Amino acid sequence: MDLKSLSQYLWVVGIGFQAILGIVLLCRKAWKTFPLFVSYFTVGLASSVFIYAFRQHKAFYFYSYWLMEALGVALGFAVVYEVFSNLFSAHTALRRLATVVFKCVLALLLCIGLIVLIKHSPLDARGVASAVVVVEEVARIIEVGMLMCLFVLSSAFGLHWRQQIFGIAVGLGIFIAVELIAVTVWGMTGKAAHDALNVVRVLGFNTSLLIWISYLLAPERAASTVELPEQSQLEQWNQAVMELIRQ
Amino acid sequence: MITLIVIALALGAIGLLFVAVRARKKRATQTVRPIDLKAFRTLMDREDEFFLKQRLPRSQFARLKRQRIAVTMRYVGRIASNASLVMGLGEAARTSSDLEVARTAAQILELASQLRLQCLLALGKLSLEFAVPSLQLTPAVLAPEYQKLRENVAHLGKLQAQNAAPLPVAI
Repeated sequence: MDLKSLSQYLWVVGIGFQAILGIVLLCRKAWKTFPLFVSYFTVGLASSVFIYAFRQHKAFYFYSYWLMEALGVALGFAVVYEVFSNLFSAHTALRRLATVVFKCVLALLLCIGLIVLIKHSPLDARGVASAVVVVEEVARIIEVGMLMCLFVLSSAFGLHWRQQIFGIAVGLGIFIAVELIAVTVWGMTGKAAHDALNVVRVLGFNTSLLIWISYLLAPERAASTVELPEQSQLEQWNQAVMELIRQ
Repeated sequence: MITLIVIALALGAIGLLFVAVRARKKRATQTVRPIDLKAFRTLMDREDEFFLKQRLPRSQFARLKRQRIAVTMRYVGRIASNASLVMGLGEAARTSSDLEVARTAAQILELASQLRLQCLLALGKLSLEFAVPSLQLTPAVLAPEYQKLRENVAHLGKLQAQNAAPLPVAI
């Protein structure tokens, strides 16, 4: 099986996964709690089916593919915002600080994106496709950076991720990180490598779908039972500290 | 060069996600650990430090102070970890149908969030002192905040029969 056939096969498998995820989202009535993620998924599913159906019409395929990609990137940002809102909904004090940090990181990422845009100079003779790939690369850098910032902030603030929102964030993270690698390498490689990259992209997307399905299906973890620590541990610790102080 | 940085960013993101998944699994088994506030306060006592500074040679004092800071950082780390666990408890209790439980849980959540921020600040200050032992930047506000949190959690424990026994005693 050549790479092109393999990517098409994986694409069909992906549509199957998307159908399963669609059923899971419907059963969980996820549009009530995660409306932006459901929109993101719906657009993804529609574009997968649409693009697969029109893959033989070259020009139509090209423009609709990039249009759907642009829509997907925009909704990806919306999902990051949804994760952020959900994570900090119960923490007003932390939310204010996190918003400031988030804005600073966004400004920094925009600067990095601008540098990448200038360095790659997409509007040269290489054509529209190269320009679109570079713009997508910049968008993915910002998306990945924002999601990384979100994970770092949640770790620093000791926030508790709920099962479903954590799954959404991890799945999105895997997908956009793989996409970022693919679009970055895309401009530097030839057609043979593009086929391999297509396989990697579809594999990344399918992995994300599996993560979303598993986290949305799994029940919310019960809060861990709080246990008393061993008294002896505390005494040993105190003893060590007191010895240190008396030195 | 830019390409390499971008690829490193993407791989770093995948690594971070992996770490987050592992940390979440580990956290599910974490428990509240005890803190000896008296010892903690003693560690932060500047009079003690001043005494040591007067009596000990400079290099020995710097070494000792770094040791004290390392221990203090572990205490602060424990307080931060406990605050995080209390945040989880508060989040769960915030949606309680009992209004008083929900209100107390919201207060605890707020206080635990503030305490977590104080811990971050304290760790930053302690790191600076570790690097330059002659600096004096005590995170003195931490102990009273933690005391307040303990009292609030004890109050919530009384309101919620199922949590009454272990948590207030543990922290």
